[in-house]
Amino acid sequence: MPSIDRRAFQHFDWLLLALVWTVVAIGLANLFSATHAGAGDGLPSEFRRQLAAVAIGAGAMGGVLLIDYRRLERWAPFLYLAALALTASTLLFAPVTRGNRSWLVYGPLSLQPAEFAKIGLVLMMARYFHRHPPGTLRRLRDLFGPGLILAGPVGLIVLQHDLGVAVLTLLIGATYLLFVRIPAKAWAVVGVAALASLAGLWSFVFKEYQRKRILDFLDPSRDPLASGYQAIQSRIAVGSGGLTGQGYLEGPQTQLQFLPTQHSDFAFSVLAEEWGFIGCTLLLMLYLSVLVWGLVVANNSKDGFGSMVAVGVVGMLFWPAAINVAMVLGLAPVIGVPLPLISYGGTQVLANLTALALLMNVSMRRYIF
Amino acid sequence: MSHLAGTDLPIDGRLRLFAALLGASFAIFELRLFQLQIVDVEALREQALRNSVRTARLEAQRGEIADREGRVLAKTRSAWQLDVVPSDLQKRDVTFAALGQLLERDSAELVAQVGNPRGIARFRPVRLAGDLDDVELARVETHRFALPGVSTRVRPLRHYTDGAIASHLLGTLGEIRSDQLEQEAFSDYHSGDIIGQTGLESILEPRLRGRSGGRNVMVDAAGREVQVLDEIAPEAGSRVVLTLDLDLQRAAFEAFHDVPEGEPPKMGSAVAIDVRNGDVLVLLSQPSFDPNDFSGGIDAKTWKALTSDEWDPLRNRAIQNHYPPGSTHKPFVAAALLQEGVVSEHTRTFCPGSFYFGGRTYRCWKREGHGSVDLHKAIQQSCDVFFYTFGVQLGIDRLANIAKSFGLGQPTGIALSGEASGLVPSSEWKLRRFGERWYPGETVSAAIGQGYNLYTPIQLAVAYAAVASGQRIEPRLVLRIEGDEGVLEMPASATTPVAVTPERLALVRAGMTAVVESPGGTGGRARVPGVRVAGKTGTAQVVQLAHTEGMAESQIPMRYRDHAWFGAFAPADAPEIAVGVFVEHGLHGSTGAGPIVQRILARYFEKRGMTPPPRQVAGPVEGLRRAEPIREEPRAVD
Repeated sequence: MPSIDRRAFQHFDWLLLALVWTVVAIGLANLFSATHAGAGDGLPSEFRRQLAAVAIGAGAMGGVLLIDYRRLERWAPFLYLAALALTASTLLFAPVTRGNRSWLVYGPLSLQPAEFAKIGLVLMMARYFHRHPPGTLRRLRDLFGPGLILAGPVGLIVLQHDLGVAVLTLLIGATYLLFVRIPAKAWAVVGVAALASLAGLWSFVFKEYQRKRILDFLDPSRDPLASGYQAIQSRIAVGSGGLTGQGYLEGPQTQLQFLPTQHSDFAFSVLAEEWGFIGCTLLLMLYLSVLVWGLVVANNSKDGFGSMVAVGVVGMLFWPAAINVAMVLGLAPVIGVPLPLISYGGTQVLANLTALALLMNVSMRRYIF
Repeated sequence: MSHLAGTDLPIDGRLRLFAALLGASFAIFELRLFQLQIVDVEALREQALRNSVRTARLEAQRGEIADREGRVLAKTRSAWQLDVVPSDLQKRDVTFAALGQLLERDSAELVAQVGNPRGIARFRPVRLAGDLDDVELARVETHRFALPGVSTRVRPLRHYTDGAIASHLLGTLGEIRSDQLEQEAFSDYHSGDIIGQTGLESILEPRLRGRSGGRNVMVDAAGREVQVLDEIAPEAGSRVVLTLDLDLQRAAFEAFHDVPEGEPPKMGSAVAIDVRNGDVLVLLSQPSFDPNDFSGGIDAKTWKALTSDEWDPLRNRAIQNHYPPGSTHKPFVAAALLQEGVVSEHTRTFCPGSFYFGGRTYRCWKREGHGSVDLHKAIQQSCDVFFYTFGVQLGIDRLANIAKSFGLGQPTGIALSGEASGLVPSSEWKLRRFGERWYPGETVSAAIGQGYNLYTPIQLAVAYAAVASGQRIEPRLVLRIEGDEGVLEMPASATTPVAVTPERLALVRAGMTAVVESPGGTGGRARVPGVRVAGKTGTAQVVQLAHTEGMAESQIPMRYRDHAWFGAFAPADAPEIAVGVFVEHGLHGSTGAGPIVQRILARYFEKRGMTPPPRQVAGPVEGLRRAEPIREEPRAVD
């Protein structure tokens, strides 16, 4: 039974809540601008769907806050396995969408289980590192356990041919490597393994168009009309924002729909065009505040599990944000990674709000011991 | 300081490392944002503008072409065009079936016309119909709400009010060719532009075209117009007033079509010019075509029919073809004989029906002979022997010099492209052309217009006008150009006196007047009540006599029939108008071409109030008066 300690409420992390919902509000406003041009009268359907996801996410957040996160340590294996099972089910039931099988579709609802697999992974990793404190992991073979936990979701996602999410999941798991104390020789082995897996991905998992995207990133003028097009259009949209932006709903590149996926993967370029350097800086500072605050929560938690959950949640937000922003700014290849809370995508919003609820959960129970 | 439970190992060092990683990443992003949004902003905004702003050209309304009395010959009207945008089609089958019914066309054909475009081509409209009539437009418009993706819009379409009547003169429009685009003169044209390709439409292109305007529009990634940013209005083309008289042009056209039932219309050309100022009043070539067929882009079937037609309807016979002149050449020979003193008005010779020279016999067209003949009678009755006899004495080079002074054998300078030069032979020419000296026997044929001589119908009209006035004049097609900057009156045409004195020319004119007005003349068919007409008939042999001798005329295949000529001017004593008519395979100058001359002159003087409108609609073969028996024309014999 969910029980709620009075002290937990007294220590509720209002700052984090405010930061998160400011980002969510910016995301919704930005999504409206990105989608209203072609939509005619009324609210654009993507906007309405996102609004619904935010509402559901708010409910989920409330639900998660009611549960003492320490219970989740016990539930972690079940949650982890449930998330894996859901992800695996896509291989059987999901239709092929744009070359991959990562979406479960039930009528009007569609779900990307890989997003929840990340939460399952974080909880499972936090539990493992709580029981095997990372500071005590000093040998390469100590990494076998967490490697196995990581291999489950990553393997399934690779089978779905969802390149972006696979890399992300790998990075979220690898975040915990920051805390282990293995010797330099072991790091070298990890590095070689990472390179080998990248080479493997390149040869066996990446599709032709994905390889092409990476080559196009290395040389954007290679094919300006095909996959290089998005990168070039994105740079133009960002740059033409200037210092103060073209104004909300006034960005010509956005309103004329020059970016094919401006509401999802390229949402940040819409913000950049319409709000300029100042708007971008504001959003990035909000993000950075949330992430650094997450590390503060990890530091302040008296409980190893709580610290490791907080670290995982920070990783879960940081990697996609960094890859997405780098992609929009032309610093990384075009891989389909949404910007958390800003891009269009119900599952992403729901999963990220849930993860942030875990962070608040850890934060508000920091004095309970 | 935080410790993991159960250990004394601090994690805050590693957390600081993580925080540093976060801070470094975001610092890189900020730097990149600074580079793109602050440093490169101008260059990227420039690119953004090019991305979304398209300049659309606004076509200027093409200028009107009118006849000398202001009647519109060519104008640009609005035509309704029906487009389909493939990406916007919803129920393809239903839409095409409906369109098939509304336009009364086969829906499968419409489907084929649209095809199945992919990619961005799906957003481009496909034209299904170029010129909807009112009924079709009304039908489509009333059903359009049920036909998403179907739209109608107005576009300019050149319309020639009188169709084929002046098609060769007015010319045609067509899409600019790639070889034209490379020329300096077309430097501000674009691929796909519709320009004047032939006739006056081509010559007057710079005047008629006007200046196109422009419009900057904002487009989205699919190229759809979203918003108009600014607009420069186009300047309409100038209105061009021609020297042409539509009434006379129509009279000539109808005369070519006035044939007994079951026979094809006559082929050939008629040109009428004002003797006094060179104004071209009639310029007709037959067979013709409908220039409207070209306006919206000619369809392959019509084009093939026109280009594969045995009689080449696209050819402007008035200026592009030259033919042997036959006896219409005789007035110039007569003028040369007088000018060079070979004959006087009293010089006589005897015509026994043939002329013996250089071991050969040259026949007169009249086998029984003309008896005693002077210059006047020789012109009136077209006596070959008179011209054989004195022509040999004159010699080819003196003849050539005088003939050239009338404008023969050279382009008249009319403002149309592709004018043939014709030919007036001389000994020097023959040496150059064939490397051979001129034989006196060739002068015999040349003296009656059956040698190497070639005239275009416009040359004949200009040369006859020169006989009438003593001045060779450059024919003029444009009276004035009315543009936005004002009215530009075309300058009077240049004139050059002919190399024959006026008194001697008067003797030639008297003979020519007798051709039409006196009993025994060959040109009675051209008489106009109330006006004295001067003229000369001519027949040009197409094949040697042996091929057709003894055949009834109606049985000679068209292609072997002789060509008919008739040149005339009127009033004979104070000439105003000169006419040259050529009827291809028209058999005789008198009967083939004479009635056409008559129609043009009668209409001209009817408008001048000098003659009553004709009461009858006479058949072409019946004379206007009972008149004298139709004389047979000369046939050259070698």
